[in-house]
Amino acid sequence: MGPLTCEQAVQQFFSYLDRALADEPLQDLEAHLDACLDCCDKLGFSRQLDTFFKERLPNSPMPTALETRIRDALRRD
Amino acid sequence: MSSSPPEVQKDARQRFEALALPHLGYLYRLAVKLKGRAQDAEDLVQETYIRALRAFATLRDPARIRPWLCQILSRLVLDQHRAGPREVAVGDMAEIDRFSLYDLIEQEDPFPYSDSLHRDFLAQFGDDEVRRALLTLPEVYRVPLVLLYVEDLSYRELAYLLGCPVGTIMSRLYRARKTLERELWACAKQRGIVRD
Repeated sequence: MGPLTCEQAVQQFFSYLDRALADEPLQDLEAHLDACLDCCDKLGFSRQLDTFFKERLPNSPMPTALETRIRDALRRD
Repeated sequence: MSSSPPEVQKDARQRFEALALPHLGYLYRLAVKLKGRAQDAEDLVQETYIRALRAFATLRDPARIRPWLCQILSRLVLDQHRAGPREVAVGDMAEIDRFSLYDLIEQEDPFPYSDSLHRDFLAQFGDDEVRRALLTLPEVYRVPLVLLYVEDLSYRELAYLLGCPVGTIMSRLYRARKTLERELWACAKQRGIVRD
């Protein structure tokens, strides 16, 4: 396969960030990134978005009564 | 639980509790991330433990109980979605696949004097808005994305956990992120950060 176009490179970004690319597809993308600053910026933004969402996933402390509730449910089952 | 004598059932339940309950906090935190509301998370975790106890005899490696519980919980979320009225309704797939928040921010240029335009755009959103966007994702997209973020699993591990091909995981993770980009853009339009 010849060099990647920007459109083809962008479609690989998430797989790249998730470490799901290997061998030739990985080499092709890295070769494209070495030569294309615009795609490097776009990849940086994709990485930034992942961190942005990951850090904002809902979170709340476990209610203290939950373990008792689960134990009771298991005994009733 | 089963037709076994009561003392056998009690013994199995006690072994299950000793193995499984130390992971309750982890499962609850995962459930909150998947469901959003604390009450829904509690119900999900309870159902997970009941299902797990019923299937306890099928657990081959006790050391793998945490991923096993995680699998039961994740599949329950997906099954609840399949049983419910909410279908995958995120719009035209081709349009979503092409969507680029990066390009739209650059074209619209909402902060002309900014040196970090894209970062400044993201800084406009509060935690609640972002969480709402995450919860608008259909479960088939939200579950693998949350598991990826929380557990840092490979596509192969996610495929095994959720019982679908690796290619399906790859396309769902792609669409999950593109849908989130589109939700942020819609929110920015609604709030007047960018032109409608």
